[in-house]
Amino acid sequence: MTTGAIRVIVLGAFVAAPFFQTNSYWLHVFCVALIGVILALGLQLLVGMAGLLSLGQAAFYGLGAYVSAALTLQFGVPFLVAFLLAGVAAAGSSLLLVPIVKLQGSSLAVATLGFNIIIYLILLNEEWATGGSFGMMNVPAPSIFGYTFTSDRAMYWLCLLVATVVYLAMDRLVHSRFGRALKAISQDEDAARACGISINLYKSKCFLVAAFAAGIAGSLYAHQARYLNPNDFAFNKSIDILIMVVIGGMGSLPGAVIGALVVVLLPEYLRSSGEFRLILFGALVVVLMGFSRGGIAGAASVFGRRLSRFVNAKSIVPKDMVQ
Amino acid sequence: MSALLQTEKLSCRFGGLVAVSGVDLSIKTGHVHGLIGPNGAGKTTFLNLISGHTRQVSGSISFDGKNVGDMSAERRAAAGIRRTFQNLRLFREMTALENVMIGLHANTASEIFHSLLRTRKQRQEERDIADRAQEALDFIGLAQSRDAVAGALPYGHQRLLEIARAIVARPKLILLDEPAAGLNGAEAGRLVGLIRRIQVTGITVMLVEHHMEVVMRACDRITVLNYGKKLADGSPADIRDHSGVIEAYLGTKRGLRRPGAESATVQSGAMKVRNAAS
Repeated sequence: MTTGAIRVIVLGAFVAAPFFQTNSYWLHVFCVALIGVILALGLQLLVGMAGLLSLGQAAFYGLGAYVSAALTLQFGVPFLVAFLLAGVAAAGSSLLLVPIVKLQGSSLAVATLGFNIIIYLILLNEEWATGGSFGMMNVPAPSIFGYTFTSDRAMYWLCLLVATVVYLAMDRLVHSRFGRALKAISQDEDAARACGISINLYKSKCFLVAAFAAGIAGSLYAHQARYLNPNDFAFNKSIDILIMVVIGGMGSLPGAVIGALVVVLLPEYLRSSGEFRLILFGALVVVLMGFSRGGIAGAASVFGRRLSRFVNAKSIVPKDMVQ
Repeated sequence: MSALLQTEKLSCRFGGLVAVSGVDLSIKTGHVHGLIGPNGAGKTTFLNLISGHTRQVSGSISFDGKNVGDMSAERRAAAGIRRTFQNLRLFREMTALENVMIGLHANTASEIFHSLLRTRKQRQEERDIADRAQEALDFIGLAQSRDAVAGALPYGHQRLLEIARAIVARPKLILLDEPAAGLNGAEAGRLVGLIRRIQVTGITVMLVEHHMEVVMRACDRITVLNYGKKLADGSPADIRDHSGVIEAYLGTKRGLRRPGAESATVQSGAMKVRNAAS
């Protein structure tokens, strides 16, 4: 089966999901999962492609959410414009990180964590702009060219549309001169420089793109939840996003999607086990990492290879005819 | 012929250690220029100074008539100085073809927006990059490995792949840092042929190498470094017979006090160098 065929089938399943699950609460959870997909895809570019460990994605997510909410609430800006400006604002704020992109590994992780904490404190304390710990209420539902996304289903499809566009955009970036440069940097900086790649410029651009994705995800979240609270954008949200990428599979775009779905949906499905659900979730993450360092996507590709070897070995048809 | 690369009083120190000290060197356009010397003579440091990977430096480097001393490594790469590394620095998780494609980074221009929109120009450029990378793989003799993961290639092929990545952009100068290290006799012989073929395409080569046979057969001119200083400079024949060079490689007469023994030892040492050269 070709990649294209698989994509069409998966997309079809996502489009059809609200016909099988019509419960309003679950549709709301699905929206959060799709917003998680966008966040994970952005971080995948940083961690999985460029090898930049960022623990500050929730800061860009929060900035996007508050910018979008404030623009529509206080200035009556149309949703589509606010949505794009949320991405632009988040991307613009990522320029603050330019002086620290040269940091390696854990230093960069801690520095971006610090950035996240600063943004969180601003959201919490600058009451005149953000509403402080009360947050922002009555954020309007998204409205595009006169159509307002009030139903849960419509909102879900809007999130799905944005997630799909972001996925395809990331796919194009990964298989481009830009994506190759990022992968080169993550594997050997000296060799990358010998090929004419300016390391800090490309790392900064990578942060810019990932921040834009997080910013538009924030905008979707603001207009989907209709209520913002600074605690949604504290650094533990950044860690959630990192868990999505790592258990999904570093360096794999489908992995980022799967990881986001698992991290958002699994605790919901485990809700029946009450207080234990987060412990169970944590234990599952540990077991999964012990099972496969490449995450779910890595395990799936290993399993796929074994399966095809098994099938080929059992088959009486010569191998070259199978292919 | 004019000089493509010229260094004047090039020096570099790491703390108290002077790795390269006041080296004047001139590489003529179109030459294969060897840089040899005992271990720790400063050959790799010198090469890092030229490529811009080491920047603690005094003295001047002029390349193609421009002073490149203040340029970063990536700008020098774009200006036409490419290199390989002593201990293989491939992008190990990428395919052979992708490795070579990255060698064209500085010579292509597509940016994020072009890639997102898949503009006509971007698609054309991607095709060009793939075609040129394929040509370089053909040239180097690795066409059949294009889709193999670089880290999984046999050692000799990894060495060749690194050279393909360095020449794909048709630079003016490539710096090869011990390309024969770890190669067997037959592979080393093919390497000499490859270096000559690279020279024919109009690329000037600077070769740092311990393998004397490769050096003597591939180079038009040789510079010898010892303790960071230039010891000798000349044609392979000059270097072969240079008494200072033989001493630097084989030790001085001190310690060989037995009468009669010293001249014999130096003689046999000279023989070794000469044999290697033939």
